[in-house]
Amino acid sequence: MAALDALGPVERERVVRQRRRGLGVVFWAAIAWIALILAVAAFANLLPLRDPDHTALLARRALPSAAHLLGTDALGRDILARAIFGARASLGIGLLAPLLATLVGASLGLVAGYLRGWIETLLVGATDVLLAFPPLVLALAIVAYLGQSVVNVIIVLAILTVPSVARIARAATLAVREREFVTAARASGASHARILLKEILPNILLPLGAFFLVLVAITIVAESILSFLGLGVPPPAPSWGSMIAEGRDSLDEAPHIAFIPAGVMFLTVLAFNLVGDTLRAITDPRRGT
Amino acid sequence: MPGLIGRRLLYLVPVILAVTVLTFLIANLLPGDLAIAILGDQATPESVAALHQKLGLDLPLWQQYLHWLGGVVTGDFGRSRNNEVVLHAIASRLPVSLELLVFAEVGGLLVGVPLAILCAVRPGSLFDRTVSAVAFGSLSVPPFMLAILLIFLFALRLHLLPATAYVPFAEDPVGNLRAMVLPGATLALLEWPTIMRVLRSDMITTLQEDYIAMARAKGLSSRRILLVHALKPSSLTLVTLIGLNVGRLIGGAVVTESIFALPGIGRLLVESIYSRDLVVLEGGVLVVAVGYVLVNFVVDLLYAALDPRIRHGRA
Amino acid sequence: MMQQCGRLRSFQIALVMLAGALALPAAAQTRGGTVTLGVEQDIAGFDPLVVGVYDTGQTATARLLFDTLTKLDDNAKPVPSLALSWSPSGDFKTWTFKLRPGVKFQDGTPLNAAAVANSFERQLDPNAHCRCAIYISFIDKVEAADDLTVVFHLKNPSPNFAALVSGTYANWPIHSPTAIQKLKEGYNRHPVGSGPFRLKSWQSGDRLVLERNPDYWDKDHVYLDEVVIRPMPDNTARFASVQSGETDIIWHDRADDILKAKKDPHLAVHEYVGSGATVYAFNTKRPPFDDVRVRQALRMALDLKTFSETLFDGLWQPAKDPWGPGSFVQCKDSGTLPYDPEKAKALLKEYGKPVAFKMVVTATPRGRQIGQAFQEMWKDVGVDMTIDQIDQTALVTKAFRRDFDLTPWRIVDAADPDIQAYANFHSGSPVNLSGYSNPEVDKLLEDARNSGDQEQRVADYCKLAQILNRDVPWFWTLDNHYFSISKPGLMGLPKQYSDIIDLSHAWWEKKKS
Repeated sequence: MAALDALGPVERERVVRQRRRGLGVVFWAAIAWIALILAVAAFANLLPLRDPDHTALLARRALPSAAHLLGTDALGRDILARAIFGARASLGIGLLAPLLATLVGASLGLVAGYLRGWIETLLVGATDVLLAFPPLVLALAIVAYLGQSVVNVIIVLAILTVPSVARIARAATLAVREREFVTAARASGASHARILLKEILPNILLPLGAFFLVLVAITIVAESILSFLGLGVPPPAPSWGSMIAEGRDSLDEAPHIAFIPAGVMFLTVLAFNLVGDTLRAITDPRRGT
Repeated sequence: MPGLIGRRLLYLVPVILAVTVLTFLIANLLPGDLAIAILGDQATPESVAALHQKLGLDLPLWQQYLHWLGGVVTGDFGRSRNNEVVLHAIASRLPVSLELLVFAEVGGLLVGVPLAILCAVRPGSLFDRTVSAVAFGSLSVPPFMLAILLIFLFALRLHLLPATAYVPFAEDPVGNLRAMVLPGATLALLEWPTIMRVLRSDMITTLQEDYIAMARAKGLSSRRILLVHALKPSSLTLVTLIGLNVGRLIGGAVVTESIFALPGIGRLLVESIYSRDLVVLEGGVLVVAVGYVLVNFVVDLLYAALDPRIRHGRA
Repeated sequence: MMQQCGRLRSFQIALVMLAGALALPAAAQTRGGTVTLGVEQDIAGFDPLVVGVYDTGQTATARLLFDTLTKLDDNAKPVPSLALSWSPSGDFKTWTFKLRPGVKFQDGTPLNAAAVANSFERQLDPNAHCRCAIYISFIDKVEAADDLTVVFHLKNPSPNFAALVSGTYANWPIHSPTAIQKLKEGYNRHPVGSGPFRLKSWQSGDRLVLERNPDYWDKDHVYLDEVVIRPMPDNTARFASVQSGETDIIWHDRADDILKAKKDPHLAVHEYVGSGATVYAFNTKRPPFDDVRVRQALRMALDLKTFSETLFDGLWQPAKDPWGPGSFVQCKDSGTLPYDPEKAKALLKEYGKPVAFKMVVTATPRGRQIGQAFQEMWKDVGVDMTIDQIDQTALVTKAFRRDFDLTPWRIVDAADPDIQAYANFHSGSPVNLSGYSNPEVDKLLEDARNSGDQEQRVADYCKLAQILNRDVPWFWTLDNHYFSISKPGLMGLPKQYSDIIDLSHAWWEKKKS
């Protein structure tokens, strides 16, 4: 059982219910929220927003008003603009790091699960070793020493995610490799590469995709923790984590500065978790048995 | 059973060795010269070279590793930049983190287990759906957000609990427990959903088994059936879960200890990163990583001891 | 000149006679009780050779663990502590201190002239490579003339030397030479002084417990049983702790909280307007700051009035010069550059090249906030600044290695501007961070250092301020204004000189249950 499996076991009865009723309102609401956040983040430049970095010290800590729909932060910057540009950083890192990790981790897991033997032993051992390290501490240390930049944050978070992706990919490969169509392909003399790419990969894409969504949620949280501790996206560029950290300094005087980005981030993480979990429940390989 | 322990031990040794190698590599491959970091503005080429020699930094990497490993095995983790013995720093902070983990795990179980049982009895009921939804939502809350929310509500607004009043247990037991409530609750609130979700589906499956129906037919009270016949097999799942959670909790502890000013190992690690104190970082990471491996080793054994299928089958 | 010295001497003799009277209580003090002090940073230790400099937590603790030769009274004049009397030579280059007889360190060894000399000599030892040495480099040597007489031979005249030795920053506390020799590397965390309190326990990262020293030479005027020092890096948490009573007094610098505390009848705010200022050094050895126009433009783009009034609720006022309102140096005209963004743009246009650079800030919420505020003000005049966040320790190292474009620094409150001004602005100083070299400035610094005439010195420093404000190798933002917040019943706190919270003679108005 991988550590990230903790997000939930198979819930057969829920799957049954879901099949009966379709995916449900909540699922589609989550999809809609993700789509909305992705859209505003992608087109932030085209939206009629204030400059997210423009400080107006005299207008600091303003409550939501017509001029600033979500108020201003401790330096008088527009919270709405910062939340949307923050979505760029948070989602950019939240999508790119898991994507990198999935590419590398899935390849490793696929090869190990298919070839088995010493490669598999090595991979399992290596993931056991890597998973023993507190990922957050490593991320903080590496960013602190290598320097704070978006690229470094992405690379670090991707590296730390590779072991769990590799585990999932290997498990999924193991479930597929003895199926008839693989045996048949092998019997017909297909090359390893062909079997891996044409037969096995398509069959593990769905579980990997579901896991990818959960990873996005986890990575958004991880980036926010780094930013919260001052080692994420470099200022003044907003990210949700640094917005919450800056708002925390005014928590007693103006709680909205911290709680607005916190709310946006919570909804986004929740949405990714929901979609990921639902997809996983549907595509779980154990479902059919 | 002895055979199993032997096999697991045989696996444990290389894993721990690999953990030490990796810890050493991470600490030594991070950019920055330890000698320059120690000497600061006093770093002249001569003083740096002298310190290199004193610290053994002029040796090949593998010799440095062996030297370091030899020290670690004999309990010598070196000294921090402030000349504090690193082993002491770790030893004095470990109990705080352990207390926090116990608080979090016990809190998580106290909330998670009863809710799981109540939900499993009537899956799909309004109660079950509500609790499941809340549990799912809780999983999306980052620890620092929860910590801030708790401080805001209980310390700043209601003035019910202290935010950062940590005192050693030996000095003031009541004060110690009071100070642990908010940080413990922060982690417990992140813990109960996983416990509840896993246990709930586990029990739903168990409750459909034949022997439960038999017990019902024998006329046993439903409370007895639930707590003895249904919960007992799920204890396996709980044990595994707790082992896995340790790793996640350590991550949560880093943040929680920083926010609540607990002098635990998580804060030690964060501070060592901020102050670029590699020797402390190296020692702390090693202790945490080896601790994680050992906990999971024990969990594996417990699992085997509890589950006859594993004990006799392939490990 | 001679007349001046005579006046000073007779004044000091009068003070020595007064000292006994000053120590007498003005009100009836209660004995007993504990005070818990919340400070900002974790305490690294007390051996100056290891830690280099002390921060506010260390200075407050050192005030309790150690004695200094003198202390400052409420008028910032030196009064006896370990030294019963002192006298300068006519040129202020040799200072002789007569020590209090019978004083013992907490390890039982005698505190004599040799021990005092040792405390300084080990810092000055070139082989020790102590970062602390910079601040006492003007001391040539310290010798024990007899068992109770210490003579300081200075490289330059220092009229305010007796006041300088009163602070508990790394250099001046007197350490037990026996303990240092015995404990070696371990001494840093097992400090032994002669102060009113001694170390009872130390849980690193959590608390340092000090208990009353039963053998203290002035034990009748020490009232508390215990003092607990707790590092609390988080502002919010530290303020909450004094509100809820977890701590009795905190060091604090967050404006919102200080205003709140002033309105709260359950809290008392102690404040002290010191000398010095928060300052920033340009690296004038690198472009674009090798050009005076760029430096002037950057300074003129800063709206310090709004900066002070909004982010700091006006508690810290814009600084006119590096001397500060608490200094004896008060200038009619410091030549401070005004806030003038148009002029700034014009200067940058004249410079002609785009200006982009990195500014170092501390990796704290406050550091990031200040960095972002400056960043925007500079962006308004077309300058591109990138924030480089680093930890406090790394900041100092980076600054000393000149590895920066623009770095924050601090000129702390001190009895005399000489040490820091000379260290920061003289072209021959190792701490001349800006790399600025101006013979006129050097001359003024030397003149002020070598003169015993206070009026002449004030004139020198004011002229210096005008030159520095014109050439902007450094600039100053806000005054030094030090705060602590306590429960109202905590009495006997002297002024917070050099930001040092002094609990050595504190007492509770009513017995704390």
